[in-house]
Amino acid sequence: MKKQKIIAIYGKGGIGKSSTASNVAAACAEAGKKVMIIGCDPKSDSSITLFGGRRIPTILDLLRDGVNINEEDVVFEGFAGVKCVEAGGPEPGIGCAGRGIIVSIQKLKSISGDLLKEQDLIIYDVPGDIVCGGFVAPVRKGFVNEAYVLTSGEYMPLYAANNICKGLSKIGMPLSGIICNSRNASREEEIVTKFAEEIGSQLMAFIPKRQVVQDCEREGYSVMEKAPESDIADIYRKLGKAILENNNKVTSGSLSDERLRELTN
Amino acid sequence: MTGKEISIIHPRPSSIVAALYTLRDLNVDVAILHGPPGCSFKHARLLEEDGIHVVTTALDESGFVFGGHDRLVELINKSVELFNPKAIGVVGTCASMIIGEEMHEAVLEANPDVPVLEVEVHAGYHNNTKGVLFALESALDAGIIDHKEFERQEYLLKKATDVEKKFGAASKEYLAPSRGDVKYKVAKRVLQLLKEGKKGLVIMNAKKETGYMFADITLAVNEVAAALGKKENLINMANIDPSLGLPRVRQHAEYIMRDLKAHGVEMHEIIGGMDEYPVAGEMVSELIKEKYSDFDFAVITGVPHAIPMEHIRNMELISVTNGPRQVLPLKELGHEHVLVEIDLHPKTLGVSEIVESEFGATLREVAKET
Ligand SMILES: Nc1ncnc2c1ncn2[C@@H]1O[C@H](COP(=O)(O)OP(=O)(O)OP(=O)(O)O)[C@@H](O)[C@H]1O
Ligand code: SF4
Ligand SMILES: [Mg+2]
Repeated sequence: MKKQKIIAIYGKGGIGKSSTASNVAAACAEAGKKVMIIGCDPKSDSSITLFGGRRIPTILDLLRDGVNINEEDVVFEGFAGVKCVEAGGPEPGIGCAGRGIIVSIQKLKSISGDLLKEQDLIIYDVPGDIVCGGFVAPVRKGFVNEAYVLTSGEYMPLYAANNICKGLSKIGMPLSGIICNSRNASREEEIVTKFAEEIGSQLMAFIPKRQVVQDCEREGYSVMEKAPESDIADIYRKLGKAILENNNKVTSGSLSDERLRELTN
Repeated sequence: MTGKEISIIHPRPSSIVAALYTLRDLNVDVAILHGPPGCSFKHARLLEEDGIHVVTTALDESGFVFGGHDRLVELINKSVELFNPKAIGVVGTCASMIIGEEMHEAVLEANPDVPVLEVEVHAGYHNNTKGVLFALESALDAGIIDHKEFERQEYLLKKATDVEKKFGAASKEYLAPSRGDVKYKVAKRVLQLLKEGKKGLVIMNAKKETGYMFADITLAVNEVAAALGKKENLINMANIDPSLGLPRVRQHAEYIMRDLKAHGVEMHEIIGGMDEYPVAGEMVSELIKEKYSDFDFAVITGVPHAIPMEHIRNMELISVTNGPRQVLPLKELGHEHVLVEIDLHPKTLGVSEIVESEFGATLREVAKET
C-alpha cells in the first residue's frame, strides 16, 4: 500500500488557506499525482478557482433534497484533474454548520471509500475559525494524517496560529509544518521561521504576496492555470513537492503571549 | 437517485432507544448515554428492569457549549466502580452528536478493562432500526458477534423497516392511535367460533420479549378450547425457535416454550426465531397455503401485519398488537377484529415467564360466564 498524504491546512480566517490549497493541489496534479481537495467550509469556496469560477453542487445541498447520493453527484474533476468536493452548509446564522461537516465527510467516506484510498494527496480545506467540534471532525475522526498551519508574520495571524498549534497538540494531532503566506510585514520570513523553530516545527515555504493571485482569482482561476509562468506558481510547485516529501511530525509546542509580542516587534 | 421519504408527523420510536435495547440484547451491563439528563428517560428506566443500568452524562447548557469530554471520562470510570460491568455501552444523543463529541477519545482516556461498545447515534433517523444497526456494528468491531450473525441481523432489520413502511406505523403521514375493538366482545366471538367447531390458527409472531405476553393469548385460546373439548380444532404456530438470535433472545424462546409445554399446549409449527418477526410471516403464509388453507379463523398476535394477506384473506382474523397506531393499518388490510394490549412492553421486561395479557384474562373470564 502506498503512503497517502491526507492533510489539513489551518490558519487565521482570510489568511489564504483556500487559495494556497487549490494552487498546491493543482501543482501536485500537474506533477502527475492523484489529488483531491475537500472543502469543509460552508462558504464552499475551496474549489471555485479550479472550475473557472463555477460552483459545484455540495454534499449537504443534495442531502437536504433527500436524494440518494452517488460519487458522480458530488465529486468533480477540476483543473489539472484535481478531484473536488464541497461539503457545503447552511447560510451564516442558521442551523449548524459543524454538524454539516461531520455528516458530509461521513457521507463522502461511505460513497467514495475507494476513490479516497486511491489518492496520493487529499487536502481538507477548513475555515479559519474553528468555532465548534464539527470543524475539527476531519482530524478527530482520524481522516487527516498531517496538519499544516498557514500564517503571515503579523501579530494577529501568528497569535491565531499559536492557538491552533495549542489546540492541535491538545487533541493529539501532530504538526507537520508552518507555511508563511506573506502580507508584506517587515522581517516576515525571519519572524515566521523563528516561530516555527520555537514551537519545534519547520517552515515549509515562504509565499510572497502577489497581485497576480488576486487577479487570477477575480477571473475565477488558480495561478497555476492562468499564470503558470509567474514566480509564485513555481513557489506553489515547490511547496507541493515539499509537502509530498515531508516526513517531519512533531507534537507542537506553543509560545507565551509575551514571547509572541516580542517576536513580532 | 431515489425520491424523498414520506414525512411522518406522529412521533416514532427513537434510534437512541433502539440502540439501548440492542445493547441489552448483547448483554451489556451498563449503558452510558452521552447527552442531556432527560434523554430517553422512560426507556432508560424500563431497561433497568431487564438488568442493564442506564446512566447519563447529563449534559447541561454548559456541556453543550464546552463539550462533555471530561464528564464522559469520569462517568465511564464511575460506572466501572459502581457496577463492575463485564461490558459497557457508550451511546450518543442528538445533543452530543451535533456538537461533534468524540466519544472514542473519552473511552481511550478512561481505558477500562472491559470491552466498550461505542454507538454514535442520535434520534434524527427516519427508521429507528439505524440505532440497532450502529450498535451491532460496534459489537462486530468488538468481536462480540460474528460476521454471520451481523449479516443475519442486518437482513432482518431491512425487512423490519420494509414491513413498517408498507403495513406498519411508518406507512402513512399520520396515524391516529386507537385502543382497538372491545376485548369482551371479541372474546365472545372467539368462544362462539370455537363452540361452532370452527377450525382456527393461533399464530404468535412476536418481537423478542413481547412474546412473554402474546404467548399468554396462545395459552388462553388453547385453555378455553380445551374446556370446550375443541382443542383438536386449533393449530398453534409461534416464532420461538430457541436456536436463533442473540443469546438473550434465544433464552426468551426457551422460557416461553417451557411455559407453553407446562400448560399442555402443543406447538405445531415453529415459524422462526424471536427476532425473525419481519420474515416469519412468509413462512406462515407458505404453511397455510400447504396445509391450513381451509381454516375458518386465525388469532394472530405480535406483529400481525408481517403476515401476507394472500392466504388468510378468507379467514376471520382476530389480531392483537401492542401498537395503538397499528390498529388502522390492520383494519385496512382486512383484519376484522383488532385488539391492543396497552402498555405491553413494560410488563415484559425483566421477566422470565409468560405474563398475563388483558385479552387472555378476558377470554378466560368470558369462558367461565358461559
Ligand atoms: N500570496 C498571496 N498573494 C496575494 N493574495 C493572496 C495570497 N494568498 C491569498 N491571497 C488572497 O487573500 C484572500 C483570502 O484568501 P483565501 O480565501 O484563500 O483565505 P482563507 O484563509 O481560505 O479564508 P477563510 O478563512 O475565510 O476560508 C483571497 O482574495 C486571496 O486571493
Ligand atoms: S432531542 Fe435527542 S438528545 Fe434531546 S432528549 Fe430528544 S432524543 Fe435526547
Ligand atoms: Mg477558505
